[in-house]
Amino acid sequence: MKDKAYDVAIIGAGPNGLTCGAYLAKAGLKVLLIEARHETGGGLDTLEFAGFKYNPHAIYHMMAEIMPVYNDFDLRSRGVRFIYPEVQAAYISKNHKPLIFYHDPKKTVDFISAEFSSKDGEEYERMYKDFQEYSEKILIPLTYVPAMPPIEQVQTLNSAKDDVGRRFNEIAELPPTEILGMYDFSEPVKAGILNLFTMWGLSPHEALGYIFPLYVYRMTNAALCSGGSHRLSSAIHKTIIASGGAILDDSEVVKVLTSNGKAHGVLLDDGTEIKATAVASTVDPHQTFLKFFDEGEIPSSLQESAKKWEWEKMTLFGTHLALRSAPKYIGTESYDDANRAMITFLGMKDTESLLEHHSSIENGHVPEKDLYGHTTCGSLFDPIQAPEGFHNGRWESLVPYDNDWEKNKWDYARLCVEEWKSYAPNLDPINMLVYPPTYIEKKLINMVRGSIKQGAYVPLQMGYFRPNDTCSQCYTPVEGFYVCGASVYPGGMIIGGPGYIGANTIVEDFGVKKQWKDPESVKKAKENGIIPY
Amino acid sequence: MEDYDVIIVGGGVNGLTAAAYLAKSGIKTVVLEARGECGAHCDTTEPGIPGFVHNLHATWLISAISPCIEDLELASRFGLEHVATEYCYGKTFEDGKNVLMGVDPVETFNSWEKHSEKDGLLFMQAADYMTNNLEETQKIFHDFLFKAPSKEILRSTGDVIEGILSSCDIDLTFDQVWNMNGFDLTKQLFESEYIRTQIQTFSWIAGMPPIHPNVGSMGALLTMMCGPFFPVHQAKGGAHALTHALVKAATAYGATILPCCPVKEIITKNGEAVAVKLSEHAVFPSETISAKKIISNCTLIPTFKYMVGYDNIDSDMASMIDKFDYNEQNLFATYWALDGAPQFASADYDDGIQRCFMGYFGGKNTEELTRFNTDLVNRVIHPDIQANWMIPSLTDPTQAPEGCHTAFVWLDAPPQPKSWKHGSLNGLPAWDEIKYEMADQVVDTFEKYAPGFKKLIKEQIIYTPYDMQRNNPSAVLGNWLGGSVIPEQWYMKRPVQGVLKGGGSRTFLKNLYLSNSIHLFSYSGLSSGYIAASEVAEDLGVREQGWWNSKALDWYLDNINDIPLNLGVR
Repeated sequence: MKDKAYDVAIIGAGPNGLTCGAYLAKAGLKVLLIEARHETGGGLDTLEFAGFKYNPHAIYHMMAEIMPVYNDFDLRSRGVRFIYPEVQAAYISKNHKPLIFYHDPKKTVDFISAEFSSKDGEEYERMYKDFQEYSEKILIPLTYVPAMPPIEQVQTLNSAKDDVGRRFNEIAELPPTEILGMYDFSEPVKAGILNLFTMWGLSPHEALGYIFPLYVYRMTNAALCSGGSHRLSSAIHKTIIASGGAILDDSEVVKVLTSNGKAHGVLLDDGTEIKATAVASTVDPHQTFLKFFDEGEIPSSLQESAKKWEWEKMTLFGTHLALRSAPKYIGTESYDDANRAMITFLGMKDTESLLEHHSSIENGHVPEKDLYGHTTCGSLFDPIQAPEGFHNGRWESLVPYDNDWEKNKWDYARLCVEEWKSYAPNLDPINMLVYPPTYIEKKLINMVRGSIKQGAYVPLQMGYFRPNDTCSQCYTPVEGFYVCGASVYPGGMIIGGPGYIGANTIVEDFGVKKQWKDPESVKKAKENGIIPY
Repeated sequence: MEDYDVIIVGGGVNGLTAAAYLAKSGIKTVVLEARGECGAHCDTTEPGIPGFVHNLHATWLISAISPCIEDLELASRFGLEHVATEYCYGKTFEDGKNVLMGVDPVETFNSWEKHSEKDGLLFMQAADYMTNNLEETQKIFHDFLFKAPSKEILRSTGDVIEGILSSCDIDLTFDQVWNMNGFDLTKQLFESEYIRTQIQTFSWIAGMPPIHPNVGSMGALLTMMCGPFFPVHQAKGGAHALTHALVKAATAYGATILPCCPVKEIITKNGEAVAVKLSEHAVFPSETISAKKIISNCTLIPTFKYMVGYDNIDSDMASMIDKFDYNEQNLFATYWALDGAPQFASADYDDGIQRCFMGYFGGKNTEELTRFNTDLVNRVIHPDIQANWMIPSLTDPTQAPEGCHTAFVWLDAPPQPKSWKHGSLNGLPAWDEIKYEMADQVVDTFEKYAPGFKKLIKEQIIYTPYDMQRNNPSAVLGNWLGGSVIPEQWYMKRPVQGVLKGGGSRTFLKNLYLSNSIHLFSYSGLSSGYIAASEVAEDLGVREQGWWNSKALDWYLDNINDIPLNLGVR
């Protein structure tokens, strides 16, 4: 494998590297993926231990079949099955009755109207319609085409045939709290909606409102991957092998080889040089711009901007349990649906306390009580995730990175389980695994300081500026060197975006014919003038 | 869903082997795996501190001797790399001594003759005989391990063994050897208890308990070939590198591999296997897939009781199958992430032990080991710890962060224990209750043989027979060999007399084959998968392939000098 020459060497075999590799191999290019870990998939990681499946990273698939890679490679036939639980989210609280969000928005409207207020029901219907429109017509298609410079983006949307562009422009740069404020919700419904966004460590105050509708809409249309998230990356992996691509694991790239401003391969940690006409990096900006190139080999502006890269302000603490029974939550006697939610949020009160909690974590405070954890019992929807007669349980809660996690991890895990038990008294674990932020960083080296999206979502490094204003369309000033990971437009999470856009760009530069069509959403957006042809 | 020529139920390494051979021969093949990952018993995972990977099942690989390496391009094309330490197997004793066997037979001789000149000499004579009769030696390896059991092969194997023994001035016929157990044979061959117990335990951890006739003696003889004929390697990256290479090979050759597809039923019609039905929990819920041939890579009882259904076969056959035993061999496993390599006290006697990734402590003489083996057979947890240890990171530093190591102890344990020192136990579920205390006992024992061990421990992960069964229900009671390796289930009698008809994998049910619970037993040499692949290919008329011609030991003898040693030793 190491002695061959390739058309493209892809650094990193996480979801973006794998997606990029699959398309390039399909286009007939000779592809090599190089992965530092002993397993590919990055955040699409499932640990199988003693018959239980644990998903320490990606679990809620917001895009699922919407990702072009799913249909273009018929991943269904390779066994990738997404399960959409009827009950998407339930909020269990000692302060109010369960708040439930269904996959079917009508059911949610009916529930909220009946249990909270008809006004809340009406507003949910209105908000859902708006957010669905922004997502389907604008945000989803924009995920699969290259970034547009901000002014061009605004102008295109303004002059689009469909006036959704103009309406969207009006909210795009508002903070999420303000967008939410345009709908007249009462508590705790308001907090329940906001939390679908803030649970990811995203700030409710940054002027990045344009992603708020996408998250709220997709978090009530999310899926679990049957068998665990790794089934998705494993299927793409096999696609690459079947198309003649090669994958090398347990190998770290230490340098991109260039001469006269052109990339011609990579250097591995064992000293091997791999020849490739083009190189694509899917790893974080520090590795990409600072580790792989010496001074002078890449414009200094790129190295300067990489040094300024902001990691995420908060991260996640995970506790994973092997359970004898599925959790039964307090206050659900008349609300059994609340025990069948894909995500169960524990302890929500209202928007004020949610914002306070969020901001205290941002300021470095480690929550010691009222942890605001969210939990999932995957085996309820997907029985193969646990041995017969058992269940798996997953807890996650937001925490700051700066803490002596290595010393405190087990105590904190026990704290999480105690709080979980206070909401689900029947919780009976037979085994516990712990996932502190330090494990996130150690396992997936791009997730520096536990940054699950490879870098903070702040205006100066989002959209056209992710990772910087020169490389966000995947090609870089270094000829033959591309970037297409989570630190590149459109960003992280399992959206199948950067890798797909990267592949399209590389294929075009090679002058090879694309054997796949635009996704349906992109076709429609072009017809509507949302995306230029 | 599509129909296939061949369905393989179970994506363990033997099933994958069969899939790769058949796909490469042009046969439309699908592998249906219940778990998310293939290779349940050849698995490397990261369940604790990142950077420490643990091999939960196969760790010591013997794949290098397999014809599969060349035929399936596992090393040349699909990334399989073997690594090792200078010493293959070391037994360390309470009195501060140790006895070692090396990659190089001369090292074995050097260690052995310190204990007994006579035993050292015997070893060299045996090694010389085999090297001077290489063709014959290779032939019995290939015939005994990779062909369906037969009286003829047993006879010709016996002839070679008689040749070896006679060259060492041992006056035993093969029939006498065959009818001995490992304890008796080692007593006849060797005078040193250090060496006797080394061979007894080596045979035991290779899958052949010394207490059994037929089994124990063959095991002892095989382990004497340690080094150039019976290697002790690991795969770089962990055992799952073997699984991954097989998955890549099968996929590249055109097989379809579908994980998360547990099979609920093997459908039979008029005494013939015709199709399988998937579980309602599979990613293709309740689908039926037809095929010309079906290979079950699941073990005997799950295959016939749950998938075929006892009601669908002859009732006498069903009762015989139901008696198939899974109580030997099963392991209580404890894994550690360590801050450094264990320092054995016996390194003062011979520091080679520090360059040896696999060994044994406890059982200082034949009597102690006999008592342990007897308790095991009687479902009693033996009071003191006599166990197999491994330090995988000594061969492969990628399995632990810089300066750190991984280690584990595999303790042979009765899967359905009736009693322990504290009193009576309730069988398999007892493991959830006693695991922590048992692990403590294991740690205390390790500390005795490698002082300072406790201080190195960063993390401990326990894995019991109950866990193993939950991980892989085909491994009933967590049995790691596909069913007990006992005289009633050995060689021509395996799995149960009457199940196999006309071959080593063809069952009494037309078009149903087994690649598990058959000869040899489940191990990384991939014999069972090779035998099943050969017979299915013969029956489909595709066995004659230009590339399908490697013999046991071919690849290993060509590459023996290229296998790096001691990469993780500092």
